[in-house]
Amino acid sequence: MPSFNDIQPPKLNPQLGALHPINQVKDFLISLLQDYGFTPVDGPEIESEEFNFDMLNIKKTHPARQMHDTFYVNNKNKVLRTHTSPVQIRSMLNSKPPIAITSAGKVFRKDDDATHLPMFHQVEGIYVDEQVTFSQLKDLIHKIIYAIFGKEIQIRFRPSYFPFTEPSAEVDILSENGKWLEILGCGIVNPVVLENCNIDSNKYSGLAFGLGVERIAMLKYGVNDIRDFYKSNLDFLNQFK
Amino acid sequence: MKVAYKHLKSLIPSEPRIDEISERFFQLGHEHDIEDDIFNMDLTPNRGDCLSVHGLVRDLAPFYDIDLTTDIYEKEIKKLDIDFVNHAPEACSHISFLKIDIEGEIAPYKGKLEEYFKDLSVNKNNFFTDVSNYLSYERGQPTHCYDANKIENLLLKFVEEDKKFNTLLEKEIVIKDKNLVFLQEGQVINLAGVMGDLNTSCSINTKSVLVECAYFNPEEIIGKSVKYDLNSDAAHKFERGVDPLCHEEVLRRFIMIVSEHANIKNVEIYKETFVDYIHIKIPFDVNKINNILGISYDKKNFEKYLLKLGFKIQDNKIIVPSHRNDIKNLNDIAEEIARVIGYDNIPVTSLKMSPANIFTDTKILEQNVKDYLIKNGFFEVINNPFIGTAEDHAIKVDNPLDSNRQYIRTNLEKSLLENLLYNERRQQDSIKLFEISDVYSNDGNLKNKKVLGIICSGRVGKNYLDFSKKIDDKYIRNLIKDLLPEININPIHIDRKSLNTKLNNEIIYLELEFNFLKDHSSDLICIQRKDPNEHTFIKYSPVSEFPSSSRDLSVSIKNIEKYYEIQEYLLHYKSNLIKEIFIFDFYNNKKNNEIKIGFRFVFQSHQATITDNEINNIMKPIMRYTNSIEGVTIPGMDKENIQNK
Repeated sequence: MPSFNDIQPPKLNPQLGALHPINQVKDFLISLLQDYGFTPVDGPEIESEEFNFDMLNIKKTHPARQMHDTFYVNNKNKVLRTHTSPVQIRSMLNSKPPIAITSAGKVFRKDDDATHLPMFHQVEGIYVDEQVTFSQLKDLIHKIIYAIFGKEIQIRFRPSYFPFTEPSAEVDILSENGKWLEILGCGIVNPVVLENCNIDSNKYSGLAFGLGVERIAMLKYGVNDIRDFYKSNLDFLNQFK
Repeated sequence: MKVAYKHLKSLIPSEPRIDEISERFFQLGHEHDIEDDIFNMDLTPNRGDCLSVHGLVRDLAPFYDIDLTTDIYEKEIKKLDIDFVNHAPEACSHISFLKIDIEGEIAPYKGKLEEYFKDLSVNKNNFFTDVSNYLSYERGQPTHCYDANKIENLLLKFVEEDKKFNTLLEKEIVIKDKNLVFLQEGQVINLAGVMGDLNTSCSINTKSVLVECAYFNPEEIIGKSVKYDLNSDAAHKFERGVDPLCHEEVLRRFIMIVSEHANIKNVEIYKETFVDYIHIKIPFDVNKINNILGISYDKKNFEKYLLKLGFKIQDNKIIVPSHRNDIKNLNDIAEEIARVIGYDNIPVTSLKMSPANIFTDTKILEQNVKDYLIKNGFFEVINNPFIGTAEDHAIKVDNPLDSNRQYIRTNLEKSLLENLLYNERRQQDSIKLFEISDVYSNDGNLKNKKVLGIICSGRVGKNYLDFSKKIDDKYIRNLIKDLLPEININPIHIDRKSLNTKLNNEIIYLELEFNFLKDHSSDLICIQRKDPNEHTFIKYSPVSEFPSSSRDLSVSIKNIEKYYEIQEYLLHYKSNLIKEIFIFDFYNNKKNNEIKIGFRFVFQSHQATITDNEINNIMKPIMRYTNSIEGVTIPGMDKENIQNK
């Protein structure tokens, strides 16, 4: 029979905290893209209009540049970046093809309602080399989506419009309730953008894509209200250990 | 933009079904919903040419024979002598004016005009404005109708001074900064491309109309309707670009529709081109198109698709039609081809790249700091950077969402304190949070730095060793010691006096710059690429917004054989209303052969604030069972008492 001297005190379960679920998904996507050959690169969140818009072929007439869509700061000298694409511009200016990088982080748009927040997260990627084609882009997008949602998921490509890619596409997945859900945007890098970055568009072409981290997180975790991610509620965060 | 299926079908002789057209629109990239046979189109901003019935049908031409023939006025039209001066030819390269005088009664609407108002439930205005609105729907070209008797002369120019302007919707606005306007005797009578004024617009009594039909440079129109809060279909179209060469066709169609409803006395036209339109020509490089898409089609296929879409091919060059202002280079042409083929029909070709494994020192440090804090019970939070009050050198947002978000934070303290208080209000008694973020400031130069913010308060942990210990200066110093062994840190004690909180736990805040951490942190462990296949996604359960409540149960164990059993039973007791159970106290009195364990039960409901009655109903069987075990008692209560409770 055991004695009181032999008794082990109750097990001390480790009191672990947790990484924020949005950063968990962001890191997962970065790891995934690293597996495919994309190197992560960071950049500033306050950007010039030149890098956020002009270099990306976003003309002054594009609705995204209006004061009702973009946050301007510092007496309209700068903007809060509306996407992580300026990071790609800096990388293309500073290196020569082949280039394969991902840019991930916070982006800002002038929205605030039940489905849109003024700050959210993107993971974008760009690959520039000789003979990069739309059919290769499709291969990459299939790999990304299968890795996130499983190989059984049904995917559809739709033509869309982004000034920095041409052709441009939006990609949908078929949800369990039979509705198509938009998952990401992608396309062949517009030769104007390559030329803006001093890359010979006759020799090189590129593919680019961008995912909304919150959207993926909501679908994968089953979170219905995007605002829940940013309440910093410990009961919420504690579930993502 | 709403378009009736019936109107689309009338221009396609094979009369395809609505679901077939819907599928084609998706293939072409034209998103939409359908309700009661009406397409609600959500077009991309580069496709201004599709903002009409004719424009949408024109895009369907690769799939169907289409017939865009409509009746137009064929006779010769006299030249209109109008006193008009264009001082902004770079903003308005093409403009036409049509003057129509009618007599007698206007007949009830018939034909396509009648169908438009009936099928789309559009409100009628006055005859000429109604014709103008219909034509915008049919052709995509906005026109503006002045009452010709109220127009003596017209001047188109940019004005930069403030001007009052009473819109035809009877909304008085003051136009500010640089605006392109039509003036008459110094008065603004039309905010060009957006909306005309009330005084010179048509009414139900108008018998003589002056129709303005123009091409405005999109850059001069964009943002105006939002700036002045004017709902303008014309601006929506001009912003996206209209066809500069369509004026005569559109105005002749205008005359035709008027003639179907009224007796025309006289008609005159003025047409002026201030800057010649030059068609874009793109070298027809079949190989390059194939290379962009990763396909191998022959030239004949491409020619067929492009001709159907209205392109012309001459001398091995693709000539872009004037309505396609979105087509500039061969990639645009490749997209046209891909849309017709169908993106899903383009084959998949394997993309082969080598895995990347490069991390910067900052990334390695960030990962190590996060892992260390998480191991010590800290939760990462993410806050948006907007704050309401200016901190020193804070950057101001020029167009904030509201006054509470008009600056960018220069540190993380306020955000993290807000997070901490939010959790305290939700009965959390052990709060450990951190955030890693870039922060920005402007002291003449725009500066940014990456910082780590840590905030904590309450109990050190939820176990019998840490439960009674409170987070204090010593705790945080010990925590940071492993990260910065050589450095004596100075955490901030946040004063609770101004925080409207009844708690008195210390709030400790620490902010460290990453550059400082990089210079002084302990040896970094090199991180490797994480295997994404190992990542698991939990299924989240919604959290309750109702307050929690706790009960403590102290148990005395003298029967040592029941020691593990009672722990197992109590720590894993299941109820929908139990949020958490943990041991907060443990004492092994070896001298008296007695073990005392304190269990804390935390209750919370998703439906309402939990009641004492609900808690008692859960606790009663727990206590009854615990008490029934031989050699186990709940101090202060005898066995019979509990069993009868």
